[in-house]
Amino acid sequence: MSATGRILKEFASLPERRPLRLLGASGQLGYGIPTPAFNAGLERQPDLIGCDMGSIDIGPYYLGSGNMATARESTKRDLRKVLLAARKYDIPLVIGSAGSAGAAPHLEQTLALVREIAREQQLKFRLAFIPGDIPKDLISEAVRAKGVVGIDGMPDLTQEEVEASAQIVGQMGMTSFRQAFEADIDVLIAGRACDTAIFSTLPVMLGFHIGLSVHMAKIIECASLCCVPGGRDSILATLDDEGFTLESMAPQRRATTISVSAHSLYEQNDPFVIIEPEGRAELHHARYEQIDERRTRISGATWVPAPRHTIKIEGARRVGERAVLFCGAADPRFIEQREEILRDVSKVVRDLVCEDAEEDYSLFWRVYGVNGVSDQLANAPLPGEVFLLIECIAPTTDRASEVVRTMKQYLLHFGYEGRLSTGGNIAFPFTPPEISVGTAYKFNIYHIMETDRLGELFPVTVENI
Amino acid sequence: MYLQDIAQVIRSKNAGPRCTTLDIMFNSDADYQKVVQSRVISAALIAELYAIVLADVKIIEYPIARALKIAIPRKVTAGDPGDRDVYGAQQHARLLKLQI
Repeated sequence: MSATGRILKEFASLPERRPLRLLGASGQLGYGIPTPAFNAGLERQPDLIGCDMGSIDIGPYYLGSGNMATARESTKRDLRKVLLAARKYDIPLVIGSAGSAGAAPHLEQTLALVREIAREQQLKFRLAFIPGDIPKDLISEAVRAKGVVGIDGMPDLTQEEVEASAQIVGQMGMTSFRQAFEADIDVLIAGRACDTAIFSTLPVMLGFHIGLSVHMAKIIECASLCCVPGGRDSILATLDDEGFTLESMAPQRRATTISVSAHSLYEQNDPFVIIEPEGRAELHHARYEQIDERRTRISGATWVPAPRHTIKIEGARRVGERAVLFCGAADPRFIEQREEILRDVSKVVRDLVCEDAEEDYSLFWRVYGVNGVSDQLANAPLPGEVFLLIECIAPTTDRASEVVRTMKQYLLHFGYEGRLSTGGNIAFPFTPPEISVGTAYKFNIYHIMETDRLGELFPVTVENI
Repeated sequence: MYLQDIAQVIRSKNAGPRCTTLDIMFNSDADYQKVVQSRVISAALIAELYAIVLADVKIIEYPIARALKIAIPRKVTAGDPGDRDVYGAQQHARLLKLQI
């Protein structure tokens, strides 16, 4: 019998539910799982190990390109650590949003690593995987039926955008994870998924309160980030019918009422609601009680089923090839006139590179020291030095490179008003100061899609390893 | 007194690629109440500081964690061409020297 089958059977035979222990091993699998806290967590005999592996925060490149954000070796090390532990203790291992963005290429790369580790370590287990991709025709159909709504002002989705997407994923939830758990498995690797489903599905299947399970899951998917000081060490949640207790597996990290309740603010625009495909957990009546210096107990979350199921869909499309130029300046006259200079030089460049071609590129500059990160505040003093990042996105690598190289030369020698420094306007940290950095993508889908086929959207595959 | 002298945490981060959230957290209920009751951190002020429309500013009081949460729309979707802060993690700086 598999690890999920065993725990489902155990709970079915219990006269009364016992508390469930869930180990949040990592909020970003692939960036390192500190071993001491992870091992301390294993000593507490958890019933499940869960890891989140992805996020939309990392930007559109990874989803669009199919590449992982984490390095292969560090990803393999983390996967090896959690696989070995889960198999040693014969408990379910659940990984969500495989390979950073959770689309087919990310899931494939993650599965390839899992199979490689299993071979090297001679592990045998039942593996389930669930692709997170949503077929384009299904989205087009939903668009036509007016069942797709942009999130936070995203424009209405068009058929053209659907077609242009390099990858489209949907955040699967508990419904899909449950289908995998019911298939008697040891390890579940999901494509793009709600981070909560990793930890909430099993308890909900065992009869624990949905609101509590989702609230707990939302906190422990970030490992010990909810503690003071926050960190990436593993965290243990102990769930019962009335609430759950959190304890970081790193002794220096304390889960306090303030630190845990504050975690509901993190990356959320409403700290009182956690929206899932099947409904939402509401935290208006959540209670946080300090048990001792390092542990907090949480209760009071409620669950409101959704009248209609929805999933969050994410897509990225290619916008072109990107080349950048790195340079700096220390001449106060240049710094003062930077905007006019850059504008004027960009016109010179355009006239040159468009002599026999269309203006088929976009040029951006960021002047670090002034407004490279955010808009300049009124009356902010000018710095002694600035760094300039000049970026071109064009249809081809060659075209983008041509534009930034031309920009470099004319910016270097541009004769602006009052110039004293006729040797050159900019400093290069090294040469070549221009680099081609590959394909640029943008998010073109960040929408909510209604569905009455939640149970069919994300089919489960089981493989005996 | 500046906000940075009384707050324990002043941070920003995306909540999805279209929204920036700003969290201001305090060490004590007294500090939290002092700032809330000063009414300095208003939708009007945030709209002005971030050059956005007043109606787009959402401020949530969250006394359980002694925190104020502000959500504002991003002008550029995270990672779009021309974006300057993909994670939105450096948009808090202009709050530090608010006079309380």
